[in-house]
Amino acid sequence: MLGELNNYWVKMNILLVEDDLSVGDFVATELIAAGHACCHKTNGEDGLREARSTFYDVLVIDRMLPLIDGLTLLKTLRNAGITTPALVLSALGEVDDRVQGLKSGADDYLVKPFSMAELIARLEVLHRRSSSPSNAAQTTLSVADLRMDLLSQKVWRDGKLLNLQPREYKLLEYMMRQAGQVVTRAMLLEHVWGYHFDPQTNVIDVHVSRLRQKIDKDFETPLLTTIRGAGYRLGPA
Amino acid sequence: MQVRKVLTSLTFRYIARYLTVLCATVFILLACLYAYFSYTYFDELSESIVEEVETIQIIYRGQSLKGVNQYIEDQLSTPATSRYYYLVTDSQGRKVAGDLSASPSYIEFSEGWVGFSAALLQLGKPVEVDFLARPATLDDGNQIIVARYYADAFEKANLVFSSLSRAMVATLLLGVIGGFFSASATLNRVEHLNMELSRIIRGNPGQRLNMEQEKGYVRELAVIMNDMLDQMESLMQGVRRVSDNIAHDLRTPLTRIRNNLSQLRADSLAESSSRNVEQIIAECDDLLETFNALLRISALEAGSRISGNNEVDIGAVLHDVVELYEPLAQQKGIVIGIDAPAQHNCRGDADLIFQMFANLIDNAVKYSAENGIIEVRMRTLPDQVHSIIIADSGPGIPAADRKNVFRRFFRIQSSRSETPGHGLGLSLVRAIAQYHQGSVELGSNNPGLQVRVKLPGTTLSHSVTS
Repeated sequence: MLGELNNYWVKMNILLVEDDLSVGDFVATELIAAGHACCHKTNGEDGLREARSTFYDVLVIDRMLPLIDGLTLLKTLRNAGITTPALVLSALGEVDDRVQGLKSGADDYLVKPFSMAELIARLEVLHRRSSSPSNAAQTTLSVADLRMDLLSQKVWRDGKLLNLQPREYKLLEYMMRQAGQVVTRAMLLEHVWGYHFDPQTNVIDVHVSRLRQKIDKDFETPLLTTIRGAGYRLGPA
Repeated sequence: MQVRKVLTSLTFRYIARYLTVLCATVFILLACLYAYFSYTYFDELSESIVEEVETIQIIYRGQSLKGVNQYIEDQLSTPATSRYYYLVTDSQGRKVAGDLSASPSYIEFSEGWVGFSAALLQLGKPVEVDFLARPATLDDGNQIIVARYYADAFEKANLVFSSLSRAMVATLLLGVIGGFFSASATLNRVEHLNMELSRIIRGNPGQRLNMEQEKGYVRELAVIMNDMLDQMESLMQGVRRVSDNIAHDLRTPLTRIRNNLSQLRADSLAESSSRNVEQIIAECDDLLETFNALLRISALEAGSRISGNNEVDIGAVLHDVVELYEPLAQQKGIVIGIDAPAQHNCRGDADLIFQMFANLIDNAVKYSAENGIIEVRMRTLPDQVHSIIIADSGPGIPAADRKNVFRRFFRIQSSRSETPGHGLGLSLVRAIAQYHQGSVELGSNNPGLQVRVKLPGTTLSHSVTS
């Protein structure tokens, strides 16, 4: 993971609250192996105490926890003014609770079982979003010589207007907002298409390669790169 | 063929066999009784004739022919059917006295008995009847025959016999009809049990037969079947748990291998080895994805929580899936046609339903030939069940394999080598359909595959089974 993310990689200080020991140990070990610092707590009370007393970059909280459940923990933290970005883990079949989770102050939601690449990519996006606060009143996005006008919904590269389909526009907008970050296929599906699911084939790749045709084909430096085993990244290499 | 089914049922055959044995036994018993009574009757008859002969002999000895004539005349007053008939002949065979006509044609029986038939005046008209007779020689060489009519005994016996046989036929008929109905009642109960059981096995192995309505041996059967279901379920869970544990436990070392490999690739490797490493990483990812898919299916199958479920617009989800897959299909020149009205809702999880249809359309695109056609149609059946058909023009699935393809890791031999995939796509489809109390069936599209997914509509009450 370290290599793939090269200069974009930032070490994160992560708090993991997960009562399932096999999942928890696995995630903690992998996070540490990926070069991050990870503190693992196994119940809601310990997790809450730890999150209040120590500063973390991101929180990973299981939804079902002993003593204090994940969503209550999160609400308590938010009420106490702690805005550390948090990702909530949930078992399959609780997917519907995503809305509820996001209302409780979660910034992202991941359904078990998940791949570590997915989790790490999401944590990095969360971390970056919080460390470089975006301007809410933003009307244009730009990455290198790519420029997007959010009001007129037009995109230019090197001053040349690009003709994008609505879905391609949404795809590019999301990738521009996460510029420099690895975005996974699941993240694209979630934010561009609005569904959480695991495609069996390269269905997303087809959409991305169509977009790539339009934004990279006639230009010297490619902006949209495929990160093997993880997803895509928009930005100068 | 309900009648045929009842007739061939075990219960009916049992009842029929029982009836046959019963009737045969009763018949044999009757025959024995008949033989016994006729034997005693003839015994008494012959004894009384012998006595009568002796009486005549005594009278003849004392009062000669005149006395005998007097005696015979005295007897005429008793009814024709229950009296003796007499014939006295001289040594040349001429009739001397008596009320029988001279020398009828005799049939010789053993021990000096003879039999003959003669017309008897009964109720004014002559009736041919059978007589049993005993000839004897009187002291002076004259012959005497004493005869007695016995057909009435036979008649009575025949009457009894025929009424008994009629009763037996009636018993047999009524028994068969009764047997038919009781067999069909039993069959209905067993059939009900059958249906319940096959529904449980096909659908939710966590359900049990309802024993409260059953009585007697059907109840015992239900208890045993429930025990069997318990065992089956725990075995199934055991197997699943083992495979889940394997999948779960292997994820850790596999992820570590994968991460080490990507570390290795980052270190300056030669171009060719770097490509090899990438290949291995991709395979690790495939394997990890397979494990995740396996765990996901298990979680769905074990999941009874439908808590927090929402209204899902199936039509809208179908349009989204088709929109997502259109570019992929276009690469192969495949056209996806969709006919699915919006606002047809079901209760459930939109992401899972999306996943289910995505897997199906993914398969359809994967297996369709270039320039094929995929059709997606949704209809609502009268019982508020939404039926979604996804039909392709690919090679289809042979009928024999249509059940197996839902099993984990099952792949049709021909597709094993040709197309990528881990053989879990349809397992997941079925798990999702069943999670939503729906079903999925495969059929032929002549040619091609037709997948029919049924999801209960929202007006249907949701029974959450545990």
